[in-house]
Amino acid sequence: MKVKNYKTFWILLVLCIVSIPSFNYTVFDLMDNSFPKMRGKSIFGSPFAFPDAWQTITWNSSLLFIIPAILIITLSTNEFTYRTHRQNIIDGWSRTQFIYIKLFEIFLLSIVTTIIVFFTALFFGSVLNKIPENTRLLSDSRFIFFFFIEMISYSTIAFLLSVFIKRAGLTMGIFFVYMVMEQFVVSLMRNKYGMNWVDYLPEEVTDRLIPQPYAQKILSNSSWNKNWEHHIPIYITIAAAYLAIYCIITIWRFRKADL
Amino acid sequence: MKEVSFNVPEGSVFGILGPNGSGKTTLLGIVTDVLKATDGKYSWFGEAASKKSRQQIGTLLETPNFYHYLSGERNLQIAAAIKERGEQDIPRVLELVRLTERKKSRFSTYSLGMKQRLAIASCLLGNPPVLVFDEPTNGLDPAGIAEIRQLIRLLAKEGKTIVLASHLLDEVEKVCTHVAILQKGELITAGNVNEVLVNEELVEISASNLEKLQQIISVLHGVKQVKRYENILQVFFDNGTIGLDQINQYCFENGIVLSHLNLRKRSLESKFIELTNNVSS
Repeated sequence: MKVKNYKTFWILLVLCIVSIPSFNYTVFDLMDNSFPKMRGKSIFGSPFAFPDAWQTITWNSSLLFIIPAILIITLSTNEFTYRTHRQNIIDGWSRTQFIYIKLFEIFLLSIVTTIIVFFTALFFGSVLNKIPENTRLLSDSRFIFFFFIEMISYSTIAFLLSVFIKRAGLTMGIFFVYMVMEQFVVSLMRNKYGMNWVDYLPEEVTDRLIPQPYAQKILSNSSWNKNWEHHIPIYITIAAAYLAIYCIITIWRFRKADL
Repeated sequence: MKEVSFNVPEGSVFGILGPNGSGKTTLLGIVTDVLKATDGKYSWFGEAASKKSRQQIGTLLETPNFYHYLSGERNLQIAAAIKERGEQDIPRVLELVRLTERKKSRFSTYSLGMKQRLAIASCLLGNPPVLVFDEPTNGLDPAGIAEIRQLIRLLAKEGKTIVLASHLLDEVEKVCTHVAILQKGELITAGNVNEVLVNEELVEISASNLEKLQQIISVLHGVKQVKRYENILQVFFDNGTIGLDQINQYCFENGIVLSHLNLRKRSLESKFIELTNNVSS
């Protein structure tokens, strides 16, 4: 009800939804037309065809995480700026209720983006490319689930920052800077020092669930693949633990603070 | 705040009076779960406070907090949904605060007075038994202030309990049944408004021979205090002990012809200042 009339919300939501298929299409087009082909087929293989479509589309779409993050941050920091969070509590919500409702909004948004990604992948796989024989359509569609985990993790981090920082611009800045910095730290630590524990940092652990699809075809390192498969349950468990921690900290903070 | 403690009787209009910075809003913030107290407890309706008790209380705290991009009516719909009451009440409360014509306009287009009135309307949704108003007349013009005063009187007649924080002394005196006075976070006094804000009567007199006048009047029965103010004597009497004609006669009998005789109530303002200054000095 709160957002029904909020123009900014709708603009951002539409942007979210539209950006996923259009970004993917841009990449598809780019690859189809700009890269060298061997015997009529791109050297990357056909990443947009099944079963690879799931991984490709989800990986592409995860690059767009900044748009849902901006939406979440805007909705949350608005409440603090206009102090409507105060009024909601005065009128009769408990503090925990307020946070639960915000977390539910995040959940809903993640579901929506995941569904869009699902249909986008379906479209790219079946309409734009011929379905190869002997492929089961839904094999490897677990990437959709991984995408959902990634989305909800990023969104919850954005929300956590909103609750502590409360100002829209600053929150967006810090969120974005953190994401970039963590990437930087990860590649530095892993490549230069060979430290593997960086795989388990908040952003990275969800990123690892969806490996970059293009390089795989070129490198085709099967032992790397086996290693990755082995780690999936670990990644998911840690991601879930992080999510729980984010939620607990956010609820604790909101319950204790002066509004 | 320093160990403030008091009881609000049901059905009273309880005023919380104090200068700016005395802790009125802090106090109300604590009992509505907006601020966290470091110590102490409070209860509503005889039970520990919870979101259920807050749903029975209409609160206006400090400033009106609404969604700027939504209309007045929409904002009230959200408030009613959270309170889980009052959805049908929206037209009635809008009419009470005279905002019906502007109900579809966005909140960001409202003037300060309109914002205040919408906040008051929100408090009234669902006819709650208790109302808490923090400076409700903030930003209102004199007509608006009078309307709110009327509204509070009406609500009190309906048996509602009203807690009213204000630094407007005469407003408090006009509508409240009980009052608590705060200063610098401390409770100075609390009780029935008639006892706390007793208005002493004072008589102003003057004559050509002021020294003699002062002498004879000081020994008159019922005189509490005599103050000299320029060429006028202010004489404080115990309430109801003396009449003007008695003073006139007494002075005349003692050889003084009064040139000035006037009955005045001491202003509430000076009484308030005296009360709050007594503590600090």
